[in-house]
Amino acid sequence: MSEVILQASHINKSFHDPVTIPVLNDVSMSVNKGEFVSVVGRSGCGKSTLLYVLSTMDTDYEGQLWIDQQLVTNQKEKQLARIRNEKIGFVFQFHYLLNEFSVLRNVMLPGLKLNRYSEQETEHRAMERLKMLHIDELALKNANQLSGGQKQRVAIARALINDPAIIMGDEPTGNLDKKNGQLVFDIFRELSLQYQQTLLIVTHDPEFAGNTNRIIEMEDGRIIRQ
Amino acid sequence: MNYKLIFSISFSLMKARWRQTLVAAVGVTFSITMFIALLSFMTGLNGLLDGLILNRTPHVRIYNDIKPSKYQPVNLSGEYKQSHNFIKSVKSASGRQEIYNSAAILDMLRKDNRVTGVAPKIIAPVFFNAGTIDITGVINGIDVQSESTLFHFNDYIITGKPIDLKNVPNSIILGKGVAEKLLADPGDVVQVTTSQGDIMPLKVVGYFQSGLQDFDKVQCYTSINTAQKLLGKPNNYLTDIQVKLTDLNMAPAVAKEYGALFQADTEDIQTANSQFETGSFIRTLISYSVGITLLIVAGFGIYNILNMMIYEKMDAIAIMKATGFCGSDVNRIFIVIALSIGLFGGVAGLFLGFGVSVIIDQIPFRTAALPTITTFPVNYNPAYYFIGAIFSLVTTYFAGYFPARKASKVDPVVIIRGK
Ligand SMILES: Nc1ncnc2c1ncn2[C@@H]1O[C@H](COP(=O)(O)OP(=O)(O)OP(=O)(O)O)[C@@H](O)[C@H]1O
Ligand SMILES: [Mg+2]
Repeated sequence: MSEVILQASHINKSFHDPVTIPVLNDVSMSVNKGEFVSVVGRSGCGKSTLLYVLSTMDTDYEGQLWIDQQLVTNQKEKQLARIRNEKIGFVFQFHYLLNEFSVLRNVMLPGLKLNRYSEQETEHRAMERLKMLHIDELALKNANQLSGGQKQRVAIARALINDPAIIMGDEPTGNLDKKNGQLVFDIFRELSLQYQQTLLIVTHDPEFAGNTNRIIEMEDGRIIRQ
Repeated sequence: MNYKLIFSISFSLMKARWRQTLVAAVGVTFSITMFIALLSFMTGLNGLLDGLILNRTPHVRIYNDIKPSKYQPVNLSGEYKQSHNFIKSVKSASGRQEIYNSAAILDMLRKDNRVTGVAPKIIAPVFFNAGTIDITGVINGIDVQSESTLFHFNDYIITGKPIDLKNVPNSIILGKGVAEKLLADPGDVVQVTTSQGDIMPLKVVGYFQSGLQDFDKVQCYTSINTAQKLLGKPNNYLTDIQVKLTDLNMAPAVAKEYGALFQADTEDIQTANSQFETGSFIRTLISYSVGITLLIVAGFGIYNILNMMIYEKMDAIAIMKATGFCGSDVNRIFIVIALSIGLFGGVAGLFLGFGVSVIIDQIPFRTAALPTITTFPVNYNPAYYFIGAIFSLVTTYFAGYFPARKASKVDPVVIIRGK
């Protein structure tokens, strides 16, 4: 069996607003290195909530979570930030680019925070990733001068800058038209096939899910099939 | 900790909102400018007004007061030691106002290293005879040199040369008010009658103006020798010894010590002028409160811009936290913004404050009371610049503290869900 990148065991989570509603119910799952996994399920079944827990941003849950063999449950905020920085790349439905910065700088920011490479090297690495996604000619533009599809590709480049152990996405194609959605999917596919990048993507699109290695299906806070 | 990154993000955020940032910085600049200008001017004024009194008042004055003897004969008698003695109608003794053994005292004072200077003096009430009327006055026999160095005597001579008191025999410098009453010009001779009835002609060599009207209507100056001659006393006769100390605050203690040592009455400057400190204190207090009020207002400006920035930049904060920036990084980014506004605004304020002080210093200000002053007084004390710099940083830090804390606590999940 290959290396496990992400493992969750018996995750429970409820919202208390104002009555207690259970949202995740004894969720256990794992993702192996190089897998391209999609998470599907009806709206409101808890897909996003699960992804936020798996991404370490939401710490209010019961159960245990390992990322890259490291237990992250009950770690300190600073430590979790470090883990996200180093191990996880994010792509959301919305691009979340910083308008104050150029495209290149946006991609570089998590790399500069990691501080593993010098600024020149980080810049070089950012350029490489932009080239890989065929948007290197946009590097010096401001983030707000880009189209929706271009922005999402920049967000993917940003997610890749620190060679993360896993890329997580919450409906990354949800805001895009058919053509751009296909483009983003193809990028994920290429990352998975060519670079053995591990991916965990929440999606509503059955076609998208159908083309991944494995589908995790959720219903009412439970995993019913994986 | 990667400060270079923090700074670069801070500056990018400021650049994106440079107009508001500038307004916030100008607020700080304005308040620091006012703070510096106000404090420099007010303390300059304080120095001037205090000088009006302090320059002319000895720290310790040694004299013999006219008063009833403490020891009545019956109390000294051994026979009645155990009794209660009732004495009625006690009168002041006609004892001498002269300081005993003045030469030895002067010698001793000059050797005391707490003392910066000693000026002997003779005070004698006199009448000036002008036609049919007699005008009361007081003649101060002084040592011109020590009186000038210790009490700026020569600053207050508006006509004539102070040294003429020494060089011209039987000369007198009249208070401006006295001179006006006597219609005496320099070179004229005035008749002076002592309380003993001796009459002596003295030659007017100048006018004296202190700025205190009542003072100038009475006080006149001669040399010590002339005063001794006028009173018919030997040349060791002195009624007052004025002492200046290295440290003004020692005056009460030193006065007490000298009183016991020389068996004379002493008076310290604090007792003689208990009110002058109150005025200085109030003026300083006003300057500080105005400066600090302005700074607090500027602080609210910074608070506002930061809050607005954070509100606008929620998405940016959320994604930074999602991609690995921790709460303290975000906190530092906004603290750096606040402190930069404080620093640049503050430094500009210090320079402008200095500029305004220089301008105030050029404004002509002439008053009869202060013959040596030609422009508004300004105190360029570096301490105020230091305090201003500290204040600007401290207020901006506190203005930034709460917004920055709010930013550091932003929960990325809440923001990302909200989209
Ligand atoms: N902050 C909250 N307080 C209370 N309930 C919440 C909160 N956030 C989410 N929920 C509830 O939790 C459930 C799961 O929400 P979640 O966003 O995970 O669904 P989802 O599967 O991602 O849906 P979608 O496909 O529409 O994005 C929903 O019923 C939602 O109403
Ligand atoms: Mg969702």
